[in-house]
Amino acid sequence: MNDKENIRVKRNLTALVEFSRLINSSLDLNFILNNILLTCMGKFFVTKGFIALKIDNHLKITSSKGIPNDDIINFPIIKISNDYLENKEFKEYLSKNRISSIFKIDAAQGCMGILGIGERLNKQPLNDDDHEFLLTILNISASAVHNSIMIDELKNVNRDLDKRIQRLNSLFELSKEFGMFSESAKVARLLIYSVIGQFLVSKFAVIILENSEIKIVESKFDEFELSQSIKKFNFNTITNPIPKAEIDEKYPLLFNLGIELIVPMQLQNETKGLICLGKRISNQEFSKTDIEFIYSIGSLAIISIENQRLFKEALEKQKLEEELEIARGIQKNLLPHSIPKFDRFEISAINLSSRQVGGDYYDIITLDENNYCIAIGDVSGKGVPAALLMANIQAFLRIICKQGMNISDATGVINNLITSNTSDGKFITFFWGMLNEKNLNFEYVNAGHNPPLLIRNKKIHKLERGGIILGVMKTNLPYDSESVILEKDDVIVLFTDGVTEAKNINDDEFSDERFEALCLKYSKLSSSEMIEKINIEIRKFSDGTFQSDDITILILKVI
Amino acid sequence: MAEFSTSTKEVGEISIIYLKGYLDAHTAPTLENTFSNLIEKGKYRTVVNFNELNYISSAGLGVFMAYIEKIRENNGDIKLSSMSEKVFNIFDLLGFPLLYEIYQTEEEAVNKFIESKSFEK
Repeated sequence: MNDKENIRVKRNLTALVEFSRLINSSLDLNFILNNILLTCMGKFFVTKGFIALKIDNHLKITSSKGIPNDDIINFPIIKISNDYLENKEFKEYLSKNRISSIFKIDAAQGCMGILGIGERLNKQPLNDDDHEFLLTILNISASAVHNSIMIDELKNVNRDLDKRIQRLNSLFELSKEFGMFSESAKVARLLIYSVIGQFLVSKFAVIILENSEIKIVESKFDEFELSQSIKKFNFNTITNPIPKAEIDEKYPLLFNLGIELIVPMQLQNETKGLICLGKRISNQEFSKTDIEFIYSIGSLAIISIENQRLFKEALEKQKLEEELEIARGIQKNLLPHSIPKFDRFEISAINLSSRQVGGDYYDIITLDENNYCIAIGDVSGKGVPAALLMANIQAFLRIICKQGMNISDATGVINNLITSNTSDGKFITFFWGMLNEKNLNFEYVNAGHNPPLLIRNKKIHKLERGGIILGVMKTNLPYDSESVILEKDDVIVLFTDGVTEAKNINDDEFSDERFEALCLKYSKLSSSEMIEKINIEIRKFSDGTFQSDDITILILKVI
Repeated sequence: MAEFSTSTKEVGEISIIYLKGYLDAHTAPTLENTFSNLIEKGKYRTVVNFNELNYISSAGLGVFMAYIEKIRENNGDIKLSSMSEKVFNIFDLLGFPLLYEIYQTEEEAVNKFIESKSFEK
């Protein structure tokens, strides 16, 4: 080996050591590739070159010098195989870019990619020494390239993990918050903020189905058009998230509004709401995991919204129950606590209030030692309003019956008072009569009430004379009255429609016929026995069926 | 319960919102109010200073998404500044740097507004 040769080898070695130090000092892939290229180009006086790495089994240019941009992007799709250099497309590409030599970059894990370099400026071909030098450089490079690729992958995996952790955090935080909020609007807002923050979306809507009514809770789309479009298809059929392409195909109206993703909010497999999202500002599509995440938050939110609704309902029900309890109390206090004892009459009454509390009313008022007033009425409506109107009529009745007016005129006055005291279409069916224990005269007026039955000698006479129901309009036609002289063993049965309209399991009514027949059958008994028998029959008939109206019966028997 | 508060300062036509504490699902409405108040007053140039913000959740990020369109439609912007590394990582993870200008200091962000303003003239 002569001196000149020695110096050349030494210089090569120094260059190699320097090169090795340099590329192994960095984990930046671009820096490493750039240096490999520059070193080769400088060493061999080459003006063009590229490094293509194997990415997903195909080669892709990751660093280059002197290759036009278009050609970087349009690198032919080739796999490294035994004959890849024979690929026609690849060959054309190389000659077009005047790349004359290709070298494989081999690491312990296999081929990582290729290095291509162009012609040398001095037009000399590469000699054996050059080849060896190049292969040495690529060998040194291979492990550095491999390491930096691994680091990049690790970084990506880490970032991916960070993203997942971040999503889990969001889910966790929201589930906590959803438990605390009281209004569905607030929950929906929280839901949407989390979603738009997570996915960089600026157009969105939350739609909730409540008692089959569509409610748009939050919307940055045109609200009118959205609700019009939503109404055109069946909400319940959306049971899976709908991606962009499917919206375009099946729901063009929504697609035109800019909706690119619809995610149902489901509770026990029932769609209770929809989350609609516009495009992501980053122009990325929603991935499967993105959609799963949105679906999870949506489900969390709808549970919270549904719970709030149920809570509200329970609260209202409780309020209603309390109100009914009050009404029941008022009603009980208005009915006579005890029935006076008479020499010639035997009077018994029963009042069974239904769960909803109707407005049945009856009264027995002592006017003087011979005269009594008997009344029965049914106030329309239920609950507290009915109970209050009942209190009204009791007050009027107790005052008016003591004024010595004739019963027709008195009924007219009561009607006028009730009419001016009711506004919302409430009315009262009412029957009342004045009873004289001395001469057994009974004078009555029937203002639209179910006609009481006068039973004499096994025959029924209905006490129907009177006029219109109370509370509908001011009195312009005087009420008619009728006087009956009662006889021994006469029975008068006063009742409300809760009796004849009592229902059984098959929704059949107890009916007037059945009731009248019973009254006839038991008319020989005392009034209290009669009521007891009739009550048993009604119970037998209804057999525990829920009754929507009060049941009231008052029976007077002449003894 | 996590504490969160905002305060605002006016520098010329620019509003600076200072965030403090934990911006999460629960405290997000506070920031919403701040933004909607500014928008109501027609103030569309905003710098948000994150110096004292310890934590931000995705619901907190959502607030920025909810107002940015309206603000940009009115030739304004929301510029972000002074984030801790932890807070920046969350913004970065979700891709916010593509959409928002994020600066090291409040001054830089304010100057950007002033520069673009003089540029308009």
